[in-house]
Amino acid sequence: MIQTLAFYLFAALVIASAVMVIMARNPVHSVLWLILAFFNAAGLMVLVGAEFIAALLLIVYVGAVAVLFLFVVMMLDIDFAELRAGFVKNFPLGIAIALVLAAELIFGIGAYQAGQLELGVASGVAAPALDASNTASIGAVLYRDYVFLFEAAGIILLVAMVGAIVLTHRRTENARGQQDISRQVRRNPDEATVMKQPEVGRGVDL
Amino acid sequence: MVDLEQYLPILIFLFVAAALSALFVFLPMGVSRLTGAHKPDAEKLSEYECGFPAFEDPRSQFDVKFYLVAISFLLFDLEASFLFPWAVSLEYTGWTGWSAMVIFLGILAVGLAYEWKMGALDWQ
Repeated sequence: MIQTLAFYLFAALVIASAVMVIMARNPVHSVLWLILAFFNAAGLMVLVGAEFIAALLLIVYVGAVAVLFLFVVMMLDIDFAELRAGFVKNFPLGIAIALVLAAELIFGIGAYQAGQLELGVASGVAAPALDASNTASIGAVLYRDYVFLFEAAGIILLVAMVGAIVLTHRRTENARGQQDISRQVRRNPDEATVMKQPEVGRGVDL
Repeated sequence: MVDLEQYLPILIFLFVAAALSALFVFLPMGVSRLTGAHKPDAEKLSEYECGFPAFEDPRSQFDVKFYLVAISFLLFDLEASFLFPWAVSLEYTGWTGWSAMVIFLGILAVGLAYEWKMGALDWQ
């Protein structure tokens, strides 16, 4: 009962906030609606028992990806009102793409329920592989059966890291306020100060 | 369907947090309304922020360094989230899983060393 109520609440909020993402005039508001959609999707994931996926949605999507989206929206100096002018013109194309995606989803779920894909139980009920929590089941599969894919994910993350630095990092030479802490610590009074005894009427050579 | 009863304490905490934050917002407003003179005018109600206009176009161009920091955060965030299922499933994966994670962390340590060497972590 309460699960059904919670499901309809989360699902309705996901759809409503997804509609607001494309309807909001201000792109920053769009990103905020997207964050609300992520939160509700996490709620749906909790309802089907995928707690780790729910936590991942919050940690990665809300915590990092949405912030990145905000950055991109704020950094690009684009007149979004002008972009939006093509909304009516591109509407049929958008509908066509949405239909293709929906058809793929229906075919995928159909094949899954027909039992052609051996992903687990054909009824789609979340079935833990072991008598353990969802997180432990994911770990047991990911780090034993799919080790090479996991290492490939590590390589991809490395490539992303290097790519971000190559694309955006500009090394600025002789920047002001560059502080070399080890040089400061290494200084001692003998080489940092000099004693001078200037004669009367003469200056000091520095 | 998952047993939702284990989420009841979180729900209770959420309600307590919402009630407390509402109290922090509305109690001072109510107290000041009841005890002080309430004569608003346009200048009093206008926002004041050190002489700058408080609202302007948010799409000002800013330094790309912020983006680099955000993307590094995203990558290391992902790396850390891979650690959670690994840590709770070590009894099933054993040394295979352990060494897989060590290799994974090694790959990303190479990335961290590269970032450090390129000076991407310096803020100047």
